[in-house]
Amino acid sequence: MISARLLRAGFVVAGVMASIGLASGPASAGKKDNSLIWATDRDNPVADPFYLNTRELVVIGHHVWDTLVIIDPKTSEIKPLLATKWNWVNTTTLDMELRTDVKFHSGKPMDADDVVYTLNHVSKKENAIANFALLSWIKEAEKLDKYKVRIHLHKPFPPALAYLAGLGFIMEKGHYDKAPVRPDGKKDFGAVPPNGTGPYKVTEVTPGERIVMEKNTSYFKGGFKGDPAIAKIIFRTIKDSNTRAAELMTGAIDWIWDVPKDQAERLTANPALVVQNAKTLRVSYLQFDAHGVSGQKFFTDKRVRQAVAHAINRESLTKNLVGPASVVAHSPCHPDQFACAYDVTHYAYDPEKAKALLKEAGYPNGLDFDLYAYRDREYTEAVIGDLAKVGLRAKLTYLQYTAFLEAVHKGRTPIAHGTWGSNSIPDVSAMTAHFFLGGPDDLTKDPEVKKLIEQADSLTDSAQRREAWKKPLQRIADEAFWVPLFTYAKYYAFSKDLAFTPTSDEIPQFFAAHWK
Amino acid sequence: MAQTTLPGLHIIDGIAAPTPGALLRQRILRHWGLLSGGLILAAIVAMAIFAPLLAPHDPYDQDLARKLIPPVWHLSAKASWTYPLGTDHLGRDYLSRLLYGSRISLLIGFSAMLISGVIGTTLGVLAGYFGGRVDTAVNFIVTTRLAMPVVLVALAVVSLVGSSLTVVIWVLGLLLWDRFAVVMRSATQQVRSREFIVAAQAVGCSTPRILLAEVAPNVLNHLIVIATLEMAQAILLEAALSFLGLGVQPPTPSWGLMVSEAKGLMFFDPWLIAIPGIALFLLVLSINMLGDGLRDVTAPENRG
Amino acid sequence: MVAFTAKRLGVALLVALTVSLITFSMIFVSGDPAVAIAGEGARAEDVDAIRKFYGFDRPIPVQYADWLTGALKGDLGRSYTLRQPVADVIASRLPVTLALGASAILFALVLAIPLGVVAAVRPNSFIDRFALLVAVVGQAMPSFWFALTLILWLGVYWRLLPITGSDHWQNFVMPAIALGYYVTPAVMRLTRAGVLEVLSSDYIRTARAKGLRPAKVLFKHALRNAIIPVVSLAAVQFGFMLGGSIVIETIFQINGLGYLAWESIQRKDLPVMQAIVLVLSVIYVLLTLAADLLNAALDPRLRTS
Repeated sequence: MISARLLRAGFVVAGVMASIGLASGPASAGKKDNSLIWATDRDNPVADPFYLNTRELVVIGHHVWDTLVIIDPKTSEIKPLLATKWNWVNTTTLDMELRTDVKFHSGKPMDADDVVYTLNHVSKKENAIANFALLSWIKEAEKLDKYKVRIHLHKPFPPALAYLAGLGFIMEKGHYDKAPVRPDGKKDFGAVPPNGTGPYKVTEVTPGERIVMEKNTSYFKGGFKGDPAIAKIIFRTIKDSNTRAAELMTGAIDWIWDVPKDQAERLTANPALVVQNAKTLRVSYLQFDAHGVSGQKFFTDKRVRQAVAHAINRESLTKNLVGPASVVAHSPCHPDQFACAYDVTHYAYDPEKAKALLKEAGYPNGLDFDLYAYRDREYTEAVIGDLAKVGLRAKLTYLQYTAFLEAVHKGRTPIAHGTWGSNSIPDVSAMTAHFFLGGPDDLTKDPEVKKLIEQADSLTDSAQRREAWKKPLQRIADEAFWVPLFTYAKYYAFSKDLAFTPTSDEIPQFFAAHWK
Repeated sequence: MAQTTLPGLHIIDGIAAPTPGALLRQRILRHWGLLSGGLILAAIVAMAIFAPLLAPHDPYDQDLARKLIPPVWHLSAKASWTYPLGTDHLGRDYLSRLLYGSRISLLIGFSAMLISGVIGTTLGVLAGYFGGRVDTAVNFIVTTRLAMPVVLVALAVVSLVGSSLTVVIWVLGLLLWDRFAVVMRSATQQVRSREFIVAAQAVGCSTPRILLAEVAPNVLNHLIVIATLEMAQAILLEAALSFLGLGVQPPTPSWGLMVSEAKGLMFFDPWLIAIPGIALFLLVLSINMLGDGLRDVTAPENRG
Repeated sequence: MVAFTAKRLGVALLVALTVSLITFSMIFVSGDPAVAIAGEGARAEDVDAIRKFYGFDRPIPVQYADWLTGALKGDLGRSYTLRQPVADVIASRLPVTLALGASAILFALVLAIPLGVVAAVRPNSFIDRFALLVAVVGQAMPSFWFALTLILWLGVYWRLLPITGSDHWQNFVMPAIALGYYVTPAVMRLTRAGVLEVLSSDYIRTARAKGLRPAKVLFKHALRNAIIPVVSLAAVQFGFMLGGSIVIETIFQINGLGYLAWESIQRKDLPVMQAIVLVLSVIYVLLTLAADLLNAALDPRLRTS
């Protein structure tokens, strides 16, 4: 037809136009007015990192708030931030001395009262912070004097400082008292307008659209985060990865990450952009409904779970889809995390064995089930494609993160394809403990694993702890409670005029970035 | 809202021919829209039926090692006749997926059209034949249905019930009957007052008999035209639902879904969305042209 | 005319009421909303508290009556996921969608009416053929695909227009084209048919016979009469378009009602979905009512039906 011919001709013209367009290069959105626009797919209706568990809020958390200590991503060392020094009085008592020159965005100076208030708030189960498991080791905080705080632990917890560095954001005393009451009678803590001590302050939260941060001009001098250069940082939600790439190419935004490999490889050709692949702590996994509460009981059978593990070609996934910095995962944790053992039972790619296991379990013709996912749809589709080859026919339900999380918590997911970034905490407990100690994300609820983890995490000696952690990880692998898939390698793409260095902790340091 | 804005492909009518049959044949052969529409549609239907024979590969067979091979006309070293239209982001043969995808589009379009046709025709014929209160009631139902935003209601229901091929077919079928009802109503009204109906009523034929034996054959040509339009409509809606992720679910090859899956690379490899998009366009175009042509040929006086 | 208006108004009200009933009944396919809001881990008493709070424990007719009276007063209920009342959210998003719909209809009219007129004045000419092509293509092209193609060309290759957002008028150009193109064929056909009909009517022949210039005949007489049905069609299409904006707003991330609908569908936020369906239906009913009354006022023959 005429129109079809026209269209085809159009695409040829488009190709020519594309090369002209790419050569001219985008005008960076933020360079002119010293602002930076970054975008991801996720909607962050609130800006409080304790009450919405997303990576964006961990990032925003580290810009708007400060933690007592901070991990230097270059050396993995613990460095001072709000606390100037600290001291283990014994294995369950930690003393910290605070800076005296810190002010909240509200203008109020920060002191021990704020730290005590925050730590006591987040460590109470009834306050239900999203990452409760990560701070539940805190028993109580106590004020020693105006700038000195004592933290009591329930039991010895060796990686305590790493956790404080990861998400111990200090709020102003009484911050959550202003929380409005939700319909069900609970307080909506996340709705309180953000107020931190960090280098940026939140000036706008538009649910589903953007969070705007502006430079805090009275940020304390000489801290780890230094003196921020960029005046305004705008986070935008752009759902579609291709739209984000388009916006970056046209210069409407300055910085994206989680760029799919195929896209990243093609963006590399654009002279106006920098594309980098960096290792991250994020792990992709399949979690089974091991108790059949979703109504589909297949995965209560270990053989079926093992069949799933054998059916997926994880080597090919990492090599062809994820990126050069990715490796196959064998445990529900990242190999760079302390005590994360990968020398457990491995499930090699073996479709024949998978079929045999299915047959043995009584499904010679395969089976049909639902699979839920929220992120990187093409990874999920690749997994589904591999599963289909052995007769494991997955019906995909692809949701937004919050809806996915809800489905997992309600036990509606026979298989959940999730990912976990451990809040960038380089310790095994940040991932494995989160998913296996009976919290809302735990679909396995295996008492044996729970007991073994608790035993391991009661040891303060690093070597002993590392050894003890092998046991729960071995059991998880033997029982195939999970199929850990691969570690993420993240592609970053940003304007070449932006001086920015990706860090492996997946917390982009915009406070350290500047326009060239 | 009684007027339906039917597409009008116009062509000069044939000069009066001796018999109605010959006249019809002559009109068909002179109507290039009807002919080309019919030919394209026939080709797509043949593609769907013979997909297993025509497809060079299994449409579900993925291999990440051979992903994103460009189509054969592309100036790339990777392009080859092994994968004439290239491969998608998971290394599946694009031509095979396109061929099998035609089955989904046709199946959904046809089934949804059947469902909506039964509902709409029943309502329209009843309203047109009985008139009065029945007519008022049907008119009201049609108006109410028109007031509901189709895409939104379809998406909402599919998301609440859960998406599958069957759900999509039923939702579309239950939503798209309004045009059937409107056109059938006016067609029946025209037929009702004709002598043969009055005669049938006079000799005491039962109402169902009159409806089936006398009314139905005389409104059939209108029915076919609307059927093609609604089938095209259903195909476009299915594609939109699948594009938004609430229609046919992967890995089933649906053209809408193919566009959706490929849009991540559309700025770099535009052929990925061009191929399924053009396929959808051609299918809908051919059905529309066939419908327009049929209307012109069977009822040239009704052209808009 | 008064009786006609009263009758049409009555029908419109009844339609709106029926739509509200259908919309409300979406609750039956959604499962127990209290459990949905509370989450699986919730204790039975929490679920009960939620049930009481939202009033799910009352008989369905009572809930419906309550929802309806609320809606009449402008209270569209509480969202399951958003922190604002549904009415507030809709009030903030509706203007964006109305602006998009208006730009789209404007685009369609500007493209379709001249093409339709020329096609009628010069049948079988190049313009007539071109108009036909526009119509045929417009009808067969999937709107989401057309939108992506626009982004590809106007947004990325040529850099003429911004791709996402709803802050600037430029943000509305591509979406308006994508949305408006779809209704162009209908408007064009109607214009063409209307002008053809009027041109062949007796009074135009008379006007021509009197020696009036063709252009004057066309603009003064033919167009004015042919345009009436087009305006009422445009009103009705505007209503359709608001419903269809869900796809376009999602692609261009325009923070209007359609995008809100898409987000609520993903979150299974029933009160928001119900409210949007209701609002769009009521707008449609009002538009058709206005179109009917306009037609009747201009053409008294229509008042009998």
